[in-house]
Formats: sequence, structure tokens, C-alpha cells
Amino acid sequence: MQDNTACAIVYADGVVNKEALGDLVARPLSKVSFSKNEGGRDETKEDFIKTSLRFPELKTATDFKDAVKEILDGNSALLIDGIKTVFIVGAKMPPTRAVIEPPTDVAVKGPREGFIEDIKINMGLLRKRLKTPNLRFETVRVGKQSDTAVNICYLNGVADNGLKDELLKKIQALQIDNVSDSSYIAALISPRKHSVFRTLGTTEKPDVFAAKLSEGRVGILVDGSPIALTAPYLLTEDLQSSEDYFVSPFAATSFRFLRALALLVAIFLPAFYISAQLFKMQLFPLGLTLTIASSVRELPLSPSLEMFVVLLLLEILKEASIRMPKYVGMSLSVVGALVLGETAVSAGFLSTPAIIIVAFSGICLYTVPNFVETGSILRWLFLIVAGSVGPFGIVLFSAFLLYYLLSADVFGTPILAPFSPLLPRDLRDSVLKYDMRTLSKRPRFLRPKNKTRLTEKE
Amino acid sequence: MPANLASTPKNERVYTRQLAFIAAFLLPMGKLLEAPSILARSAQGDLLLPAILHFLLQSLLLLSVLFACSQSEQTLLERLENKLGKWTVLFYVLYGVYFLFAAVLPLLDMEKFVYAAFFDTAPSTFSFAVFFFFSAYACAKGFKSIGRSGDISLFLFLLPFFALVLMSFSASDFSSLLPLFGTDFKQSLTAFSDSTPYFSDVVLLLPLLASHRYKKNDGVKIAAGYWSGAAFTLLFLSIFYGVYSTIAPRQHYAFSKIAQYFPALNVIGRIDLLLVYLLTIILLFYTVLPLQHFTELTARILNTKRKALISALLNLALLFAVLFLNRFYNLFHSLIERKLSLVFWLVADLLPLFFLLLPKKPQKRRPLYA
Repeated sequence: MQDNTACAIVYADGVVNKEALGDLVARPLSKVSFSKNEGGRDETKEDFIKTSLRFPELKTATDFKDAVKEILDGNSALLIDGIKTVFIVGAKMPPTRAVIEPPTDVAVKGPREGFIEDIKINMGLLRKRLKTPNLRFETVRVGKQSDTAVNICYLNGVADNGLKDELLKKIQALQIDNVSDSSYIAALISPRKHSVFRTLGTTEKPDVFAAKLSEGRVGILVDGSPIALTAPYLLTEDLQSSEDYFVSPFAATSFRFLRALALLVAIFLPAFYISAQLFKMQLFPLGLTLTIASSVRELPLSPSLEMFVVLLLLEILKEASIRMPKYVGMSLSVVGALVLGETAVSAGFLSTPAIIIVAFSGICLYTVPNFVETGSILRWLFLIVAGSVGPFGIVLFSAFLLYYLLSADVFGTPILAPFSPLLPRDLRDSVLKYDMRTLSKRPRFLRPKNKTRLTEKE
Repeated sequence: MPANLASTPKNERVYTRQLAFIAAFLLPMGKLLEAPSILARSAQGDLLLPAILHFLLQSLLLLSVLFACSQSEQTLLERLENKLGKWTVLFYVLYGVYFLFAAVLPLLDMEKFVYAAFFDTAPSTFSFAVFFFFSAYACAKGFKSIGRSGDISLFLFLLPFFALVLMSFSASDFSSLLPLFGTDFKQSLTAFSDSTPYFSDVVLLLPLLASHRYKKNDGVKIAAGYWSGAAFTLLFLSIFYGVYSTIAPRQHYAFSKIAQYFPALNVIGRIDLLLVYLLTIILLFYTVLPLQHFTELTARILNTKRKALISALLNLALLFAVLFLNRFYNLFHSLIERKLSLVFWLVADLLPLFFLLLPKKPQKRRPLYA
């Protein structure tokens, strides 16, 4: 300061906007002195500093622990000789990436913005779409080491308060060292810990997130994660895409049916193929039976073992292609498709039908990207059941899964709604997609406080 | 006496719509396996007649129970407990035993059906044993799951059933059903008597109805559901006899093969089996229904929440029972049809009429000291 009062700024390097600190803190401070404080006789030194800096985000800390916490959070602490209070300057600028289209949720039509790892930017992206004072954020700090900000977002007057309170309570009760991603929160608050099925919805797109909040869902944003969570989650959500709302209802319905069909094919086709070979040949037409018979005649492996090997190869290739550097990807395709596939068939280890079926099943599964993990596990389970008990095993295991799903309530909402329990009005936006004007009411299974979302003026 | 014998937790209640769907889509499945060939065995072309007679009697029973339900804001079980006091437990024991007894025949039929419809090769004895894993799981669930299985049956039943019916139409010769009353009426009565175990199914709704709090128009909805189920069954029986005619009595588990004569199947393979497999899921729900009732009643009698244990023990016992009775299938079948149909008449069809005698309002207990 001009009167030679010593000042110091303490910050964690790499997460602070030094330029802003220089322009808005250091420079103004160098031009003022306590001795020239003529205008405000009643003003304390602390108030004098506050008025001199005029920094938009300026607060004080009296406790050493609070100050340390703020510094670790990315803010800077300004210490001035003769003042006990520590000034916290909100000049944090953690390294972030640009807002880009999320790779897991690409849209041909519609908004392309995606969430990033910065919770403030994610909140901004959401605010941009929901400019209402009813949009509420309730922040909880989770993680003894990471001290991660977790935001519960909802539309006041629309979302079910009971659900919001339940989520808040569960998150507040979490005792964990580190929260690296929202999937930690999803796993920890899940009411069904050993379920193959997800219990919370996920999205990387602010437009989808905003639309779900508008329906009456409660959302969770986690600092450091580009994936937002939504509750309650229904199984039909996986069949829906944001694009369905930007195309005609007929197109959207047909896309959804196509996805459902592809999902069924992905899960059941390998299982039915081997159960038909082993237990019920009638499932194939005669011509196909002869073709299959000629291709598997001299195979050293049994049908179930062959399918097991091919499916295992697919899973390994999938895992490798995700983690492998891009420039090696081309070689992987060549090795995977030609060397493993073509050569294995010509060497007589595997049959062509098995490779076609697994390849088709693999492609079909990716029509529903959010269901890939679950679908993959289910495909394995059905394969095991089909190889052991045949088509009856498939039917029985389907009945078992169905019974499991229809008994399952997640955060008070049945996961199979609106099919079971049947909610006829909610079927309009399930696998079916009605015209927007007929979707005037919010989904009943969400128990929204305000049931109407669309009214048309005469 | 166990406490809260009659009370059903609020989140375990079954909705009227679900009851109607169970009556419409779940109950008909029990009549599609063996009942058509049993009816055709004696009644031949008049097989619809005993079926209609059954439906009339069952409708009367259902309407009586619904009428009894409508007489009070309390559930039938609550009124029963008010009336009988500690003796209510006998009612539960009687029906528990009945459901166990009534579950065995569908289980044996189901086993034979599975071997016939799902295997070209000779299956191992234990191929059907896996069913009991599903059964044990389903039995541990409560009324809520039964209600929801009714909801999902809507989607699983309609498309496969009507697709099978349409595919069978081309091979049906409905003139085989003519002339009406062409068979001796005594024969029809024999068919009526023999098929009693398959048609006495309103009793499967009884635990759900007796726990249901009646609201206006519930009776109409549930009865409409039951009549829809009856219509589906009669439609299937007509097509069954239209397709198989004189060889119908020997056509067991007909619904799994009735559509196989559809011309396009030669080219595309037996895709009708996929429809049969979808219907089998509902058949599985139907088969476990009496076992679920048994588990629920036993849990109430013992005043325990450990339904999983009861269910596990029950299914283990049933596994051995089925493996044993499997050897005497024909003997057991004729024993149930011919000798034990009286049990169905008494417990399933007559005893529920007792509900009509229950007082409309809860009886005030006379104070011990005036």
C-alpha cells in the first residue's frame, strides 16, 4: 500500500486468475493508504479495504481453517498487516475444457452443448435454459479429502419435495474420502445396491437435463463430472433420445420401437441361436437349418462354447478399442475383423453364423447407448441360461427379470412405469411418442406438484 | 391368534384395474394347456357348452363375492375377522391347504408342456427344476407384485394371443363345431365335471378381492375383466376344435402348436413359437399364483415377515413332489379330475359364498362389565 502497509496474497497456483488478482486487487491496493482515509471517519480498516477493492466476489474469513479451505477451493486469501480478518477473493479459475458436444450423446438435430467438469459452468448452462427463480440449487459438500460440491437441482413448485429431501438426506449422510465422478454418488445413494439395472438416470446434455427437471424430476450435478444424474429413473428412458422431441411423433415412435427391437435382438439373439441349435431346431426355417448345419459340422467347439468364445472376443475388442490410442485403432480393426474373424472361420475354429450373430447383436446394443453395460451383462446371463436349459431357460429367466423389475421401486417410483403399474396417460411418452400438444400434463409417476405443463391460449 | 391377520399394508394393495387384468389375461392361461383336450374328450364338438356352463357358474360366484365386497367399507378379511374372531385362522388354514393342493395339477401340466414345447431332444429330469427358482422368488413377493404382473400381462397377452389366433384361422374348419348340441348332453356334463379343476379359478382372485377396499363400479370393471378372459378362452376353444376336430382329444398343450400350419412358417421358421414363449411368461405368472397365495396366507398365520423362508421351503418340497408325481402323472390327473373335483366344488366354488353372510357393519363387542 502507499503507506507501506504490508500485504500478502496466498493462493494455490494453477487454479487462480492471476491477471484478475493483479488488476483488481494488487493495483488498487498500491494506490490507497489508510492515512488518506479522509472521507470515512467512521469506516474501519476492514470496510476501507472492501470499498477500495470493489472486487465482485469478496468475503471475509476469521477462522484459519475457513481460510485454508477457501484457498484449496481455488480462491485467494488477502492478508493485510494490522487487520485480523482475512479477505477471500473469489478469483478462482480452475482449468476447464470448452463446452463441446458430448461424445456419448451425439444429436443430429437439436442442441449440441454438453456438460463439462466445472459445476459452475454446468449450472450456467442450466440457468441459460431455465430462466426461472423456481430453479433451485441446494449444495452439499461431499468427500473428506476432495470436498466436492454436489448440487441438487429442482424446480420449486414442480418437483416432488419428498424425493428432493430424500436425495438430500442420502447425500448429506455420505462419508467418503473422494468423489471423483457423479457415478460415485449414484452408486452410494442407490436404493438397490446389487442391481444390474441402473437406479438413476444420466445425461451429459443440459437440454435433456433441463427437460427432465421441467417434467418434475430432481437432478444432481457433481463438481468434476460432466455427467448429471436424474431421479427417479425409469427403464423406458433408455429408449428415448433427445432427438425424439425434435422430429415428428410418428418418426419418434418408430425410432423408439426400432431401439426396443434392437435391444431385444442384442440381448436374445445369441441365446436363441444356441438354444435353437442345442434344444429346438424348429426355431430355424429348414433352409437356414441346413446352412447352419453345414457350417458347424466340423467345428471342434460345442455351439454354446463357440458363442461364448465369439462373444468374449467381441467384449475384448470393444474394451481394447475404447482404451487404445486412436492411431492404433485401425490396426486393431484389421486384427479384429480380418485376422481373428476371417482366419478363425477358415481355420475351422469358429463358424460364420456365430460371428454374424454376435456382430449383429453387438451393433444392435449400441442403438441404446445408456443400456450397453446392463445389456452386455444380460446377454451373458441369457447365453449361460440358454446353453444350460434351452429356450425354457430363456423364457424363465425373462419371467424372473420381469418379476424383479415389476417389483422394483426406486425412490418410490416403479422402474417399469408406465407399463406396470399401468399409467395410460404416461404411455403417451414412453415407447410411444404422441404429439407435443397432447402431452399437456406432467408424468404422473413423478408425483409433480404442478401437474400441467402446457396450456394453449384460445 | 396372530395379530393383524386381515390387514394388508397400504403399499401392498392391488388396484381394481390390476384385478380386472388378472381376470382377463392371467386366468385364461390356465385353460389353454390341458383343458381344451379334456373338454373335447367327452363333449367333442360341443366343447363350448361345458366351458360356457363353467363360466356362468364362476361368474355367479364372482358377482356374489363382489356383492359381498360392496356391502361395507371394510375389506372382506376385516369383516371375516370381526365375525369369526380367533377362528378366522381356520379359514386361512383351509385356503392355504387348498391353494397348495390346487397348485400341483398346473405344475405337472406345466412340466409336461415345457418338455413338449421347448425341447426337440429328450430333456433331463431336472430341466424343469429351474422353474422353482423363479417360483421361490415370486412367492417371496407380496400382493403388489401380483397386481403389477396383471398390468404387464396386458402387453404380453394381447399381441401373441391374437397373432396365434390369426395364424390358426387359415387351418380352422368351424363347421366341426356344428351341429350345436350334437353330442349327448351327458357327455357334455362329464366334460364339465372333468374340467372343473381348470375352470374353478375365481378362487385365485379371492385373497386379492378379500383384501380389496371396494369402490363404486369396481364390480363392473372386475367382472368385465373376467368376461373378457372367458371370451378369449371360448375363442381359443372354437379355433382349437376347428383346427383339430376329431383328433382334438389327443392334442395336449395345443396352444404351442396350433399355429404351426400357417403357410408362411415354412419359409420363415417357427416364429409362432416366439409368440408361444411370450404367452408362457404369463403362464408362469399364472402357475405361481396359488403358491404366492399359499405363502402369503402362511406368513399371516405364522405372523412372520420371513416370506422368503416359507417360499424356499415350499418350493423345495414342491420340487420333490413334482419329481415324484411325475411318474404317476396319468393316475394323478384322473384322480383329480374324477375323484377330487368335489374339493374344487366345495372350497373353490361354494365356500366363498359364506362371505355373503358377513354382517355389513362390524359387530360391536358386548362389554364384559355393563
